Formats: sequence, C-alpha cells, structure tokens
Amino acid sequence: MRDKIIYVLGLVAILLLARDLYLITGFPAERNQGVIFKIIFFHVPMAITALTCALVAFTSSILFLVTKKFQFDALAVAVTEVGLAFLAGNLITGSIWGRVAWGIWWTWDARLTSALVCWLLYAGYLMLRNAIEEPTQRATFAAVFSIFAFIDVPIVIFSIKWWRTQHPQPVFWGGGSFPPDWKAVFGWQMLAVLLVGVVFTLVRLRQEQFQREIDSLRRMAHAL
Amino acid sequence: MFALLLLQASAEDITREMERLQRNFAFLNSGLWVAWFVLVIYVLMMVSRERKLKREIAGLKAMLEDKPR
Repeated sequence: MRDKIIYVLGLVAILLLARDLYLITGFPAERNQGVIFKIIFFHVPMAITALTCALVAFTSSILFLVTKKFQFDALAVAVTEVGLAFLAGNLITGSIWGRVAWGIWWTWDARLTSALVCWLLYAGYLMLRNAIEEPTQRATFAAVFSIFAFIDVPIVIFSIKWWRTQHPQPVFWGGGSFPPDWKAVFGWQMLAVLLVGVVFTLVRLRQEQFQREIDSLRRMAHAL
Repeated sequence: MFALLLLQASAEDITREMERLQRNFAFLNSGLWVAWFVLVIYVLMMVSRERKLKREIAGLKAMLEDKPR
C-alpha cells in the first residue's frame, strides 16, 4: 500500500513538473534580467523545500528526545538527507544565476554564507551518524546536533533583512518584483518540488525500516 | 518608438544584445540541467542503497533459515 502511495505521488510530481516546464519555457523573457530570471522557478522552490526539511528534522529530533521513539529518528535522518540534496541544488542554481546577474559565481555575503554553513552543518549531521555504531547513542547525539544545526535556518531566512547583502530581497515578501501572471505557475512549481521532496522522504524512510530489519536480523543471528 | 530606437541602434549593438541573450539562455539551460542532475544523482544513490539493503536482508534471512538445520 505504501509503495503504491509513493508511486502515485511520484507520478503526480513528474506530471506537474513536466507541465510547469512546458509553461515556463513559453513565458517571455523577464524585463530586467532576461530569460535567466526563469531559474527562480527552481532556485526558490528548492530552497523552501530544503528549509522545510530542516524544520521537520528539528521537530522530529525534539520528539525523539522526548519520546525515545526511533520512528522520529528515522524521519529526522530521512528529511535531513533529502533537504541536503535540495539545498545543494539551490546553492548551485543560485551560483549560476549570480554569475549572470552579478558577474560572479560566489560572494561571501550573509545569505550565501549562512546557506553554505547550513549545508555543511547538515552534512556534518550525516557524518556524525555514520561515526556512531550504537543505535540509541547515535540517535540521541544526532538529535541534539540537529537541534543545534537548526539555529542556522532563521539566519539563512532573515539574513537579507538583517544585513546588507549582495543577494536581493525576496520577490514575494520583500518588495521584489515578480510578473503577476507567473505567480500561479510558481505556486504549482512550488507544490511539485515539495511533492518530489515528500516522495524522496518516503523512499528514504522505507530504507530506514530496512536498516532496522537488518539490525534485528543481525541480533537474531548473534543470539543463535 | 521601438522601431526608431531599433533604427538608431548600430549593427554592433544588435550583435552585442544577441550575444547577451544567448549567453543568458545558455546559463539558464545549464542551471536547469544542474538542478535536475543533483536530484537524479540522489535518486541513483537511493536506488543503489535500497538494492544493497534488500540483498543484505535476503542474505541474513537465508543464513537464519540455514542455522537451525
């Protein structure tokens, strides 16, 4: 049943992405930046998906520490890994956009640096998990680390408000301009990318279940 | 108005603008490819991990079935 849900959601996400891509290519070039502005349809949804994953990881890490239920630990690791992939996509597409808009691939401004630090922190989280063998200890240490790493997320979001940055103000809540007739497609694209994130998380959660099954089979094998 | 501006623009200006547009499009193209590429790599990593896990489960189950005999 769960596999069927994954396949259906995956199919819906692919169809939505294909439809959005068709519509996006049909849009005219943006007035100020030209066609490169269309990269916003990937850059921003990837960032929002990654930061949503970080929020879910933060919540499930707290829930693990409170309840000691391993389902929450599994959810935390699943969303962290998925969020890391999306944040990597966001950083790379942002760098390509920056090359055209600013003439540089990278600059150490507050938004870009905090986003990179966020990526490194969550990569560190995954490395920490690989370094600890004992499951309870691994889950506890990882949960504490994940809560600590989440401190960077509000800094990433509000850095453009708190400091003067090369990165512009957001187009939707910071007074930036966005063609009004693009908004509906942007909303659908946002939904499609979030759906891809949900599908990846469900697949990754299933793998965590397999891992737990392997752990219990190993214990049985040792007991015999 | 636009036609007049166009008439005033030199051939060099038009070539420069065409080059700028082409470069802009090439960067957008590479951006989209990279965005998809990152996700495809992640999917491939998940597929290979799932195969490994399933193999390991099958191996452990086979071992446990053999042991009582």
